Order: sequence, then C-alpha cells, then structure tokens
Amino acid sequence: MLRTLQVERRVDPHLSIDRYDPEAELLLLHFGPQHPATHGVFRMDLYLDGEIVVKCVPYVGYLHRAVEKLCEVLTYSQVTPIVDKNDYVSPMTNEQAINLAFEKLLGLEVPRRARWIRTVFAEMQRIASHLLWLGTFAMDLGGALGGGATVFMHAFRERESIMDLFEEVSGSRFHYNTHTIGGNRHDIPAGWSGRVKQALDVIEARIGEYEAMTLENRIFHERTRGVGVLDGTLALELGITGPNLRASGVDHDLRRDAPFHAYDEITVNVITAEGGDCLARTQVRMGELRESIRIVRAMIDSIPEGPINGGKPIKLVNSIKIPAGQTYVAMETPRGELGTYLIADGSPKAQRLKIRPPSLHALSAMPYILPGGTVSDALAILGSLDPIMGEVDR
Amino acid sequence: MNYLTDSLHALATSLRNAFRAPTTVEFPDVIRPRPERYRTTFALLNDEQGDQLCIGCLMCERICPSTVIAIKAAGKRESPVTGKKRGYADDFVLDLSACIYCELCVQVCPVDAIVMTRAPEVPTFSREDLVLTMERLYANGVDKPRAWGDGTRLMAMQEPAPGAAPAHHAPKAPTPSGPSAHTDDKPASSAAVREEPQ
Repeated sequence: MLRTLQVERRVDPHLSIDRYDPEAELLLLHFGPQHPATHGVFRMDLYLDGEIVVKCVPYVGYLHRAVEKLCEVLTYSQVTPIVDKNDYVSPMTNEQAINLAFEKLLGLEVPRRARWIRTVFAEMQRIASHLLWLGTFAMDLGGALGGGATVFMHAFRERESIMDLFEEVSGSRFHYNTHTIGGNRHDIPAGWSGRVKQALDVIEARIGEYEAMTLENRIFHERTRGVGVLDGTLALELGITGPNLRASGVDHDLRRDAPFHAYDEITVNVITAEGGDCLARTQVRMGELRESIRIVRAMIDSIPEGPINGGKPIKLVNSIKIPAGQTYVAMETPRGELGTYLIADGSPKAQRLKIRPPSLHALSAMPYILPGGTVSDALAILGSLDPIMGEVDR
Repeated sequence: MNYLTDSLHALATSLRNAFRAPTTVEFPDVIRPRPERYRTTFALLNDEQGDQLCIGCLMCERICPSTVIAIKAAGKRESPVTGKKRGYADDFVLDLSACIYCELCVQVCPVDAIVMTRAPEVPTFSREDLVLTMERLYANGVDKPRAWGDGTRLMAMQEPAPGAAPAHHAPKAPTPSGPSAHTDDKPASSAAVREEPQ
C-alpha cells in the first residue's frame, strides 16, 4: 500500500507528532550526538515516516564548557585566550568580539593600524572558515562529488596556507591569543603582506576548481536545490544572520550596515542570493570567498604605520578595571552576528558576560525547514547552515 | 549540464590536482620550516652566570587563565653567584595537559625567565610526562632552542606610542613601531615585584 505523506515545510516545531498522521508508524531516529555529519556533538530526534522526516527536535549542550561563567570568574586580562575556543573555526573573531565590548566600555580608542590589521585578520578568517565549511559540506553530501573527500582535501590544503600565515604572526596555529584590550598583541612580521598575496593568488585561482566540483555539478544541484528552503521572514524571526540570512534574499551585513574595525574605510560588496535553499547558501559563501580575497588585497598594502595597541599591555592580572555599565557590541563573523553583552561593575571581573552566537540561531531553523525532507536532506541542511557547536554550547 | 560531462569535469579537476606538487611532508624525516615566532613547550632560563632567572614573583601563576602554573616562592635569599639578596622560586610546576598556550605567562614575566621553545612537541606515553617540573623546565632552557617571544619583546611590540592621545581617524604621522625604545617600566615593575613574596 503506497501512501504519500503531505507535510508542509513550515510547521510548528512544538506541535505534537500525533497531529501529523495518526495512522503512520513513525520511527524515532536518534541522530547524533557523535555522528560525523553533525560537525561536533549535536543530537536531533528525527521522527520518520519511511524516509520522510516528519518532525525534528534538536538537542544542544554536549559541548558546554561554561565559557560565560569562566568570563565572570577570570579577570578581563585573562578572558581573551579563553574565548578562542568558542567558534573554533574562526578563533580570531571571538577575540575581536569580546575585546570590542571591553574597549567600548573602557572608552579606549584602538589605533588605526590595529583596526586595519584586525580587519585583515577577520577577512582571512572568513576565507579559512568558508574553505573549511565547503570541504565539510561537500563531504556531508557524500560520494558523488569526485569521491566525497576530494573537495574536502582540496579545501583543507588551501586553508592550511592561511593557518601558516597566522602562525607567522602569533606563533600558534589555532589558539592565537593575538588580540588584547586596546589593540593587538602581535604586530605583523616583515614581508608578511607579500606572502599573504601569494597565498590569496593560489586560493583565488582554485575557487574555480571548487565550483567545477560543486556549483557546476548536476549531482550537487540535485542534492541542494529546493532543499531546506528558509524564507527571509522566518529567518528574521529566528534571528538568523550572516550568509544564511543573505541566502534568503535579505540584504544585511554588519560590515556595511554597522561598521566596526576599519570597515568604514573600505567598501564591502554584500553577496546575497534568492532561494534560501542549500544551493543559495553555497552560492553566497562562494561569493564571499572572492569578496574577502578582494578586501584583503585592497587593504594589505596600505596598512597604516603606528602603534598596534591603544591601551597598556597586560602586565598584572587585576590591572584592567572596567567602569560600571553595560554594553552590547556586535560584529560580523563568518557565521553571522556575534554579539557580546557585557555588564561591568567596576571590578576587574565582569559581572555578566553573555555571548550571542550566530550558530545557535542558525540551528534553531532546523525544526522549521527540515520536516518534509528526507534523512539525506537532513545532513545537507545541517551542513549548509554551518553550525559550530563550540559556540552554540559555549 | 548532464551527469556524464559533469562527472568528467570533476574528474579532470582531480587529475589536474594529482599532478600538482604535494603540500605535505613526511613529518619525522622532513620538518617544514617553522616561522620565527613558532612556539611550543616551555622553558625556564638561567642568566649568564648560571643563576636562576626566576625570582618567584608569582606573576605568571596569577595571570594564567587555566591555572596550570604552581610556584612555591622561596622569599629573598643571597644569590650563590653574586651574593646579592634576591627572590627565588623553590618549586615551579607547569602542567602542559591543561595549558592553552596563550603566552600570557611569557608576556608578564618581568625578568624574561619563562619562555617558550621552538622544539616540536614530542608525544608522551603517560600524563605524568606532561607535568613539567622545575628540573625539566630548566633542562628545556638548556636543551631546546628558545622561541622568539619573551616578556621584553612582547611588551615592546605592544607599547603604545609615547604620549600619543589617539586621534580618531586622523592619519597618523608614521612613527617607527616595532623594536622601539626600551620600555621604561620594565626595571621599575620588576623592582616592585621583588617585594611581593614577603
């Protein structure tokens, strides 16, 4: 007996499953938390009718490390290296976001050179992050794309060149701790800009190859077109930002709309796409790769001279006391708006520090856009949202 | 677009990459060039006369976000080399298993006693090997090449321009940055810190 199940794509995630199809025998599939396609540790309960997902209940919290509590226990001088591990695919943007909040309450002016270096770092992190996303997304989609792991290997090879450049700056490949309150800890070394341009030349020449294997591939199109459609209104309701929002046709980018760092001195072409499906999200990120390369190229040769730190270098653990007050600072990371809400009470420790991670909001779309799709769509949708569990759970 | 041509297209990309020079190296035999600021494990240094540089001021223990450093300060005693009274550490333990390599302890050290090394980390077979005792830290200082960063260099790099009230967006006159004048607060702060163990 063949029976098709009609499920609207947009459903209330809290609706009881009994209301969908009482006669169907639903299968409850625990997906995760240690499935490789979850990009970390993330669990979904999928209620399946055959291959069709009827309901999706996501569970987060498997990577909770109490970062916000740690930010209250440690002093302002000690917090910066801790937040590196939130969004572990673009660690520098975490440092920048938290230091922006400290600097705003302190009224500290970041020198122009430091702001330019921060902008270059942020854009290079965007390139590295999108490259990692592309590799893992192609691997989520599976074997059709030239063997599955091919794009992954190619993207990681290019990402490695960016990691090498950051290693030259900070001496560390991943947990840099290269920002401090008021500026940067490490100045860029001599000859660095030339090596950045070399690496960008290689990456830009190879973006065409990635597109040949993804955006110009029919199999890729069939796996992504019309899958996980997220319309702009729902995206705005859920607080989704970044490439996921821009792929739904909403023209919103904090780099242009609320400039931080040195983005007010440079034009940012915001990449948008219509459709809101996995294909549109891929198109936006591929466009942002090219745009970030353009921005870094435009800035790398004209980084102004001057000091890299507007405050005192960190020497004593209690030396930085932020006056009482509260602030919210947001910046655009590769995944969207990373907000920091800081309540200070005049002591060397924050009274409360809340981090608003873009990935958590992106994940909250899963119960809305997944029902009606298949199990294999679940992996494609999850991968295309680019969630990083480190910052979801903190 | 159809399946055959797209698959051939993807195959052509794979073939093109198959003939590119490899980017990886056979690690134990070939070691890729490390950048100047490359940093891994830790070391404590001696001065030229062989006296311990560490004065037991506890600055690194206090700044450490992961609290992996434990120091037993000895208080002041006469140096066996110079005969002057100065602070010492009786014991210094650094637990690498919880270290996040943030380099803050190196930055705050007023006498450049603790530095990181350039030697690639060697995997160990037991957790005890990750606990760097005082002897091992001083042995690292002798055996292993030290990294670029130390307290003086890191502070000099971050020193704000002398007396510059930062103007908003005003293009600054090019001031030479980098290895600028010696930070005048270094001797002062190290003198101040020497009082602390009392």
